[in-house]
Amino acid sequence: MLDDFDVITLILLLFPFLMSIVMLTITGMVSESSRRKLAPVWRMVSLGVSMALFIVASMMFTGQIGGVDWTGIGFNEYEFLYQYEWISSLGITWQVGLDALSFPMVWLTTFLLPVTIIATWDEKKGAVYHPLILLMGATLLGVFVSLDLFMFYIFWELTLIPMFFLILKWGGKDRKYASQKFFIYTFTASVIMLLGLITMYFSMPSNTEIAMDNAGEYTGRTFDLLEITSIAQSVNAGGIWLENLHLIIFAMLMIGFLVKLPAAPFHTWLPDAHVQAPTGGSMLLAGVMLKMGAYGMFRIPATLFPHALEHFQFILMLFGFVSLVYGAIVCLGQTNLKKMVAYSSVSHMGVILLGIASMQPIGWAAALFMMFAHGIISPMLFAVCGAFKHHYHSMEIGAMRGMAKHSPWLATSMMFGWMASLGLPLLAGFVAEFLLLIAYWHEFGWWILGPGLALAITAAYYLWSMQRTIFEGGEETQPPKEMEGKPIPDISDMEKVAMLILAGFTILFGIFPAIALDMMSDWTVTMFQTLFGGA
Amino acid sequence: MGSSYDEVKNALDVPSEFVFIILLPMLAFPLILYLGMKFNGQKFWKENLKEGGLVALPVMAASLVLSLVLIRRFINETSVSDTSTVFSWANFAWFTEGATTEISLYSLNFGLYVDHVTVMLLFVASFLCLLINIFSIGYMNTDEVNDNKNHRFYAEFVLFCSGMLGMVLSDSFLWLFIFWELMGLCSYLLIGFYYDKPSAAYAAKKAFLTTRVGDVFLVIGLAMLWNLFQPYASGGDALAFATVFDHSNLQMLADAGKQGALQLALGFMFIGAVGKSAQFPLHVWLPDAMEGPTPVSALIHAATMVNAGLYLVARMFPIFGDSAMMGEFSDLAFIIALVGGITACMAALIAFVQMDLKKVLAYSTMSQLAYIFTGLGAALWLANSLDWGEYPNKGIVVVAFGAALFHLFNHAMAKGMLFMASGSVIHEMHHAHHDLHHHHHDDDHHDDHGDDHHDDHFDAQSMANMGGLASRLPITATAMFVGSASIIGIPLIGGFWSKEGIIANTWRVAVEHDPRFYIPAFLVLITAGMTGFYMSRMWFMTFAGKPKTEVAEKVHEQTPWIPIPLLVLIPMSLAGIVFASLKSTYFLGYKGYKLGEDGLLEGFLYEMDHIFVNPGTNYLLVLTYIAIFLSMVLGPCAAMALHGGRLDEGQKAKPWMQWAVTLSGKLNDKYSFAGWAEKMSESSFGEALRQRLYFDKYYDMAMMKIVAGFSNLSASFDKNVVDGFAIKTIIEKGGQDSSRIIRSITTGSARDYIMMVAVGTLAIAILLWGVN
Repeated sequence: MLDDFDVITLILLLFPFLMSIVMLTITGMVSESSRRKLAPVWRMVSLGVSMALFIVASMMFTGQIGGVDWTGIGFNEYEFLYQYEWISSLGITWQVGLDALSFPMVWLTTFLLPVTIIATWDEKKGAVYHPLILLMGATLLGVFVSLDLFMFYIFWELTLIPMFFLILKWGGKDRKYASQKFFIYTFTASVIMLLGLITMYFSMPSNTEIAMDNAGEYTGRTFDLLEITSIAQSVNAGGIWLENLHLIIFAMLMIGFLVKLPAAPFHTWLPDAHVQAPTGGSMLLAGVMLKMGAYGMFRIPATLFPHALEHFQFILMLFGFVSLVYGAIVCLGQTNLKKMVAYSSVSHMGVILLGIASMQPIGWAAALFMMFAHGIISPMLFAVCGAFKHHYHSMEIGAMRGMAKHSPWLATSMMFGWMASLGLPLLAGFVAEFLLLIAYWHEFGWWILGPGLALAITAAYYLWSMQRTIFEGGEETQPPKEMEGKPIPDISDMEKVAMLILAGFTILFGIFPAIALDMMSDWTVTMFQTLFGGA
Repeated sequence: MGSSYDEVKNALDVPSEFVFIILLPMLAFPLILYLGMKFNGQKFWKENLKEGGLVALPVMAASLVLSLVLIRRFINETSVSDTSTVFSWANFAWFTEGATTEISLYSLNFGLYVDHVTVMLLFVASFLCLLINIFSIGYMNTDEVNDNKNHRFYAEFVLFCSGMLGMVLSDSFLWLFIFWELMGLCSYLLIGFYYDKPSAAYAAKKAFLTTRVGDVFLVIGLAMLWNLFQPYASGGDALAFATVFDHSNLQMLADAGKQGALQLALGFMFIGAVGKSAQFPLHVWLPDAMEGPTPVSALIHAATMVNAGLYLVARMFPIFGDSAMMGEFSDLAFIIALVGGITACMAALIAFVQMDLKKVLAYSTMSQLAYIFTGLGAALWLANSLDWGEYPNKGIVVVAFGAALFHLFNHAMAKGMLFMASGSVIHEMHHAHHDLHHHHHDDDHHDDHGDDHHDDHFDAQSMANMGGLASRLPITATAMFVGSASIIGIPLIGGFWSKEGIIANTWRVAVEHDPRFYIPAFLVLITAGMTGFYMSRMWFMTFAGKPKTEVAEKVHEQTPWIPIPLLVLIPMSLAGIVFASLKSTYFLGYKGYKLGEDGLLEGFLYEMDHIFVNPGTNYLLVLTYIAIFLSMVLGPCAAMALHGGRLDEGQKAKPWMQWAVTLSGKLNDKYSFAGWAEKMSESSFGEALRQRLYFDKYYDMAMMKIVAGFSNLSASFDKNVVDGFAIKTIIEKGGQDSSRIIRSITTGSARDYIMMVAVGTLAIAILLWGVN
């Protein structure tokens, strides 16, 4: 129906952005009492906008908008490409587009926005909170759709702002420390990444040496990722692009992405941020924001510097290995439920790194699928943690036992989420883990015992925490002190809806992973062929 | 050679409609949960639908009917369709670097696969699922503790059934594993059904974690296997049975010198089987799993799920039997047999001292599964090392393999029945105790009498509280009698045929081929006698002698539904001779032999001749009689002398049991070596047995001290060193200035920040526009 509708990418990005800015501005102008009245309205508007985005993204997925066959997209080919000259003096364009790497992330973001709004329906200061969630989503979409490095960097940093406020304003006791740590830590890493980008920009051949469409009038170079990619490819075909600098630039870029991912030992901002962040913030942080790191790795360093990727393959694997195994072991030592889940994210992000390091199309596809699957599963984990905290006023494992009796819905959601996260087959997480193991054994042999150990430990910490929350609670354990004498509530209807949606998609992509995996796998094949010259 | 192994691999093309065998129970899972949540407490749901029991029942019946149709088709080979792949799970590419760098496409699919190994387990699974569903309605719905919880039980029950049927029917090792894990989940949920009991929560976790350790090896084994078969499966599924069992693939693998790698992969997968089937050293979870409701113990932890490990090993038979791999896997086959032998003997020893009725059965399950592992090990050794083309090797291999599978069948039937019978005993003990308790405290405790009778101190599962039930529970006692006879291997009854086969074949390998097999061979032989002892001990302690408590005197059979499956399974357990006469061992080992080809009488005579006269090999004949002596005479007589006794005055058991009770009374009077037994029991060895040979203790200690200790250390390392020292001390202290600047502009008002961002962005935009 809407076959030629490339501008949709731009709309997808700008519509929520402008809507949230408008809502926040209006909120800022009215009095305290009218803000309270405004809250339910903004909530509905935010939900409406995000639902509209989700519907559009889903229709793009099925091909009803644009008529795109996502499985047919090759490397460095983009759908819904929209380019607009922006700052021509520096070769900066306003360029957005989608491919099989970014589109699953875009769909995931639009999927998580309404779910997050539903799951945190009654969050306090709703007149600011819900528009802020929408703004968060808009900046995340910006990261995934932008195809100009300058634009990419702007959105990359913009994502920090709404998240910073979400943690600072709605966070827990140590929110100030956590939000600043989150901001400074990732910002510092991003600056290193920016330096890497600028170094690359100035060391690349200018338009006097190579013909360029979008070269800056003053600099003779471009930020246009498509153009840079084609240049890099043509050079890489016979040699190494930026030969004397490629390792350094690659490392600088990777530092930004590794911190964002995060990989051990750069992970310590994450548990603090998660524990202090409100439920909605955690859901988006774990669900989408962490994947920016993995997305960036694929989009820039792996694309432009395949030789450096090969060079650093083993080191990358070690980063992944340590994140996965060490993250899992540290999980087992946690007593705080949310902290445990946060460390489990570190552990699962390790799987993505291992996938990238495996240097096999299937390993890359597994990494992409892990980004996707973890993006559905981890919000559920954090929604469960949020509900737990909300109802029992504590995050300590063991503070509340026998949940199956008092709060069967919460207990069921928790068990489902935990099982999905520990890689139970027929749920989405297993697909990525299994495909990864195949590639990993091929590439690294007996190192596979590490991930194997992590799989067992993951089961151990999840089961151990369930034993002391869902189960037990006979006579000897009591609810926390504050709860005494009060009826113990189950989760609200809105939370139930959110859990059901997340669970439903986890099952869907677990039984029929091909829905999303096909496009990822096809894309990684062409990427692999292009970069490493497979027949 | 040539044709023989191809026949072994001959599988039926299954029309994909049969996926409903799996799909029906899977869809019933959400249905029952939903109905339960909606209608709990309503009379129609409770009385007429039995809180989901009668929703599950037709579903399981439909699965059974479909399974029977499929089995019939397999036996008659009527229908052939050319597709069995139901859907494609994952498609992906693989990059090969070598002389020719290339990218090839692969997929992992789900499909159905039926061959001679499948059909037997398919029947066992669907048949027992239905029977235990019937039993559950009697067992679960008459206990008020379960009121308004039964929908959860039935939902998890049907999900389990779909997992089991799926595992049996799936056409690749990957999907076998997927359904395997689904069963593991249901096992976890059902063991923890009484979630508020800490012991149940602990047992559920223990079961999942212990099997998970095995599963990790299994999944790594699958990754290895995929990598091995990847070069020969371009465009297809490298884990599909069709690929893995294909002779030309295996031949190419052998030509590439990958036999050792394949053995390693299969060995890793075997570790998964060890965990799932509760074999040494991953056996510790099974006895604790008895915390689950008895129907769960009967179905999952005796008759079906624990057979999954055996099924996985049996599935490897075509690989072992392939001529390309001849003689390559004898080490793995030996390890399989050895693990079986050790477990068989160890579990039987521990069963000697168990007082809990269900725990005796649990250790017995472990021990019998170990028999099957030993039998499979021997069969796989024979299949792998003998030249099938030479007479009579083919027959030897086929019978050895068939005997192991036949024991699986006999054990599943008998043990399922034994557990249900034990459930009947426990249930009636509960009822009797409840009535008694109620009667005594009628005046003062009227309100809370039935609140939670799990909490009072009477142990309805302890055999120390039973005794003399033979006359009071006639059907149950008969079922236990027949089931025990089958497990012990009393001649002509069910398990006898298969157990003799297993012992004989293990000895055959040891004597004629590989002396290492003397270890498992000897272990399974003495275990036969030990089985005779502990099974008889269980029966006589429960059913013979005088009632040991007031409760046991009041017991009588009263619960509806429960006797039905018992009455069905009694003939199934006895019918071993019928199946043996059909030469089912040949059929199970090999599709070329058809059931009932020769007529029953001929088959019967052949089997009798084969077992008791054995014209070919003298040592096997001697062995048979030793085994019979140990299991039928020595073990039971010792048990009778220790634990037997006459019933109360005026009580009389059914005639087929009365003779045993009377005999036990006589033996007990004459040779009671109770003093010696007491001394043994008080010795350190007796204590070690009661402590389950300290496995649980040391595993727990390792878990708590080493794993938990190390993880706590890591957590504090992460907090104090990685974050504390590196970040907080060095970077944050060093970055005080920058943080001070940020703090000075942190006004705390969202408006301010948004304004700042807006102004900043605007400024940059204007600036850039100006430069432009």
